[in-house]
Amino acid sequence: MEQWIEFAKGPLFTLTFLIMVLGLLRLIIPQVYLLFIRKRDVLRDVKWSKIIKDTLSWIIPIKHFISGTRLFSLASYIMHIGVIIVPICIIDHIVLWEKFFNINLPSIGQGLADYLTLITIACLLILLGCRTFKKHQRAMSGFMDYFLLIMVILPFASGYLASHPNYNPFPWDVMMLTHLLSAELLFVLIPFSKLAHIILFNFDRTSGVHWQLRPGAGDKIAEALFGKGVKI
Amino acid sequence: MAKTATSTESSVKENIYPYYLPGKIPDNLVERFLEAFATVLQFTDYRQLLDTYCATSAKCNRCSVACPVYLASGDPRDIPCYRTNLLLEVYKRYFTISGWFKSRLSSRFDLTEEIVNEMAVAFYRCTACRRCTMECPLGIEHSLLTRLGRYILSLIGISSKALQVSVDEQLEGETHNTSKIPKVALLDTLEFLTEELEESFGIKMEYPVDQYDREFVFFAAVSDYLMEPETLMGNAAVIYAAGDWDKWTIGTGNYDGINYGLFYSDWYLENIVKQLVSEVDRLRGKKILIGECGHASRSAHDFVPIFLKQDAYPVINCMEYALDCLEKGKIKLNSDIITERVTYHDPCNIARSGWIVDQPRKILKSFVKDFVEMEPHGINNYCCGGGGGLVSIDEIHDFRMDIGGKVKAEQIRQTGAEILISPCANCKKQLKELVEHYELPCKVMGLHDLILKAIEIPGGKSPQERKEEAALYEM
Ligand code: HEM
Ligand code: SF4
Repeated sequence: MEQWIEFAKGPLFTLTFLIMVLGLLRLIIPQVYLLFIRKRDVLRDVKWSKIIKDTLSWIIPIKHFISGTRLFSLASYIMHIGVIIVPICIIDHIVLWEKFFNINLPSIGQGLADYLTLITIACLLILLGCRTFKKHQRAMSGFMDYFLLIMVILPFASGYLASHPNYNPFPWDVMMLTHLLSAELLFVLIPFSKLAHIILFNFDRTSGVHWQLRPGAGDKIAEALFGKGVKI
Repeated sequence: MAKTATSTESSVKENIYPYYLPGKIPDNLVERFLEAFATVLQFTDYRQLLDTYCATSAKCNRCSVACPVYLASGDPRDIPCYRTNLLLEVYKRYFTISGWFKSRLSSRFDLTEEIVNEMAVAFYRCTACRRCTMECPLGIEHSLLTRLGRYILSLIGISSKALQVSVDEQLEGETHNTSKIPKVALLDTLEFLTEELEESFGIKMEYPVDQYDREFVFFAAVSDYLMEPETLMGNAAVIYAAGDWDKWTIGTGNYDGINYGLFYSDWYLENIVKQLVSEVDRLRGKKILIGECGHASRSAHDFVPIFLKQDAYPVINCMEYALDCLEKGKIKLNSDIITERVTYHDPCNIARSGWIVDQPRKILKSFVKDFVEMEPHGINNYCCGGGGGLVSIDEIHDFRMDIGGKVKAEQIRQTGAEILISPCANCKKQLKELVEHYELPCKVMGLHDLILKAIEIPGGKSPQERKEEAALYEM
């Protein structure tokens, strides 16, 4: 068991982290290329102020707190605070940051970290519940939508249990290994699932750029499909 | 016939869609759909958009509560994200590497004729009002994909006959407008409007036709010449009162601002925009003035710069012009004339982007005593239910009434308004039908119809006089 944990902490961690980083780069590079190089000419004409304003309105999305999705939205919002802050700023991970990247990050205290973790798990369960029990949400949910939620719950739950032996019915090393492996699987899943929104979310908002249709494209399409010289 | 594959035979019999097709349902739908999709991807920039949406779409369902169609129908197939996903699945499977791999591993998804048919129905159940985008935390623009889906379908011959006939007439027909109004009929109408104005104001305002070097070339939604005389008279009255009568003209080469290409085809969108601009070129005009029409305004305002680049003319909506006149003191509106309760419906095409939201309200509040808002309104408004070209499709009248416009009708009822202002030819048609269908006690009008009643023109009859005369006339 000991060796397995060492393996998961060492080479496997490096490998999966690398897959995540490279996988995300694979997504982001074409985005940047297309947006800033291919569509360069039209960028001037895009209403960036509106795009930026819209994006900012989601940082504290009070005006988007509309009836029908309140529970889901609230749970999702709090969950996001948790999934962003806890993995980065928890004391046990701070050590990792220092070891691997030589970065010194502030830590949140153990007490706060515990609460946040529990709240995050609760929120994830609420999301799972919404997807299962709300008619319109179930209609839209596929296997991956449930699976990913569970995959996010796993590292949180196992991490919590591993660090709280009192509540942990399983041996410590089993929990630790579950924590490591599930987190690593999550790393791998991120670039290949909807979790890619972690870095792509801002590109979704660039529909203003895409309304800048390419002049002459319609003609070329018509020509390719229906032949040249057709009367217009 | 370039842009869409159509045949002339009627398709009423074989048709399985809720709307009429321009021709027959084509054979081997699946192959042709994929071929058209591939061609579109080859020559446009939609690929990046599709890639992003495929990678991130979270299916969080927030869009569902924003969509008036879903709110009314409750059918999961009307959830914006569901509809978008129809197209995304096809894209993922056939046009991405990972989709290709997955299809080798398991045949989870294959495009079938049923799915093409489902898309053909689904994409014409969206009014392209873009309200869902406001509530998508990722900012996914479902209407852009609805539009792309419609475009691809139109390339294989699946589009609405009503829209297709209109755009064909506009580009290839003799009259070059969607309502098939020939030039002589236009001139007759203008003469009639002149007479009406003279009768009402006691002033002869002869509509300027084919005048060169004017500041504004005016394009109304051409149907206004048939159905909305008061809006057009209101336009004239404002320009006359502002002392700009020798600054505008209507061109007889092309007098239609309508552009259904906005709803379903890049090819039509571009060519209709270019046709409009060529009329301004011919008349050596300086600016494009668009009448009361949401989509006509948006297609000119947004797409003239995109397709014409540096040669683009500025595009102004008549409400912007009217407000400018009002604020500069060039026109005066009498605030004792309109005593009824008035509310305002925002046409999605000009309101959603935030372009024209305050202007009409400033105008209305300046002379209307009892102005009430609907909730929500402005950039958050609900669509009338006839957006995205649906209002022109008579076959889906029931859908527009019972589903598309249901939320709107309730909103209107809540205001208790007697006059419902909507400065858009499409919205007006839909709202008039809604008011009748739901027996709402209000009258649908354009903003300029109301201005026409209250405007004071020096040397002409006063608004009070006109009101009294109109009352006599009605008795
Ligand atoms: C960098 C900032 C991030 C932003 C802006 C962001 C934004 C979003 C948005 C807009 C949604 C969809 C709607 C919703 O559920 O409310 C979403 C869903 C989700 N996010 Fe994030 N996210 C971020 C980071 C993360 C991280 C680090 C994780 C954890 C691994 C994560 C996990 C999830 C999950 C699991 C969902 C799906 C919830 C569901 O729909 O059931 N996100 N995120
Ligand atoms: S654009 Fe409007 S009608 Fe279409 S899905 Fe979105 S909210 Fe519904």
